[in-house]
Amino acid sequence: MTGHPTRITVVGAGGLGGPIAFSLARRGLELTIVDHDTVELSNLHRQVQFTAADVDRPKAALLASAVVARGGNARGVVTRWAADTADALAGDADLVIDASDSPETKFSVSDWAVANGRLYVIAAALRYGGNVMAGAPGAACYRCLFEEPVEAPSCADAGVLGPVVAAIGGVAAALALGLARGDRTYAGALLAFDDLRTLVEPRIVRFAPRPGCAACARAPISPLAAPPVLVAEGG
Amino acid sequence: MPTIRVPTALRTFTRGSAEIELPAATVRDALAELERRHPGIRARIFDGDVVKPFIRIFVGADDIAELGGLDAPVGERDEISIVPAIAGGADA
Repeated sequence: MTGHPTRITVVGAGGLGGPIAFSLARRGLELTIVDHDTVELSNLHRQVQFTAADVDRPKAALLASAVVARGGNARGVVTRWAADTADALAGDADLVIDASDSPETKFSVSDWAVANGRLYVIAAALRYGGNVMAGAPGAACYRCLFEEPVEAPSCADAGVLGPVVAAIGGVAAALALGLARGDRTYAGALLAFDDLRTLVEPRIVRFAPRPGCAACARAPISPLAAPPVLVAEGG
Repeated sequence: MPTIRVPTALRTFTRGSAEIELPAATVRDALAELERRHPGIRARIFDGDVVKPFIRIFVGADDIAELGGLDAPVGERDEISIVPAIAGGADA
């Protein structure tokens, strides 16, 4: 058990970041919520943490305030996650959750977590489904799985249902809590939800570290080393 | 027969079908049969003869990289999953 509350950086305060942050609004967790963006009217159907009164205001600060109002502990940082901001945003974090809409950000979060020996979760939702991956030191990483960012449709151009981001966000938060408690059941696994309108059971697929993975080559912990164990308070 | 699970992004090629049963002894056979039935889908999965880097293929819960790659054998009850990377969440 660590001597401090479990610190979690949530990258993205939108459709996924909202349910993730609300799910983690609990004793024993300290959240840093990162997002450079402001609320738009078109966000409201899937980003239920905001109201019309929030339009043009910064998402990160608003979501952090909402977490605090629910009894949680959070601060909002209005900036973009990038290689040159990551240390400041997550340097003291035990775990990082990617809830962004950007393939590049997902790889950046995974690469940073691997290089710094941190736990992490990568979440994505699109149309009627989504993917959630859990990562831990020594396990295969997001770059082992998908190798490199590509042009991918985002919520803005392909759409996503509000209930879908709520469900995927809930799964991401649950996996994060599991990792924080030392449960490595899903480390190095991807939970793929094809279409939540018809099937709520995920396909759980597992993969091994990829030889030649540039991110794993920089990892401070070998795949055979014991990963850190954290314990979050509260139930 | 083995079943291929088609991700939502590729279902425009399969007229909306999420699962397709087809005769195959290997993953390669299965994908060839998928292309025969639904022309054009292969180009969304492959660059030349190599699976695109943002797509992974699994038999059951296992990555085909651990099973012999595209020549991984598949049995009557096996499920082949095509899993693409996706974005979506917030513009952070």
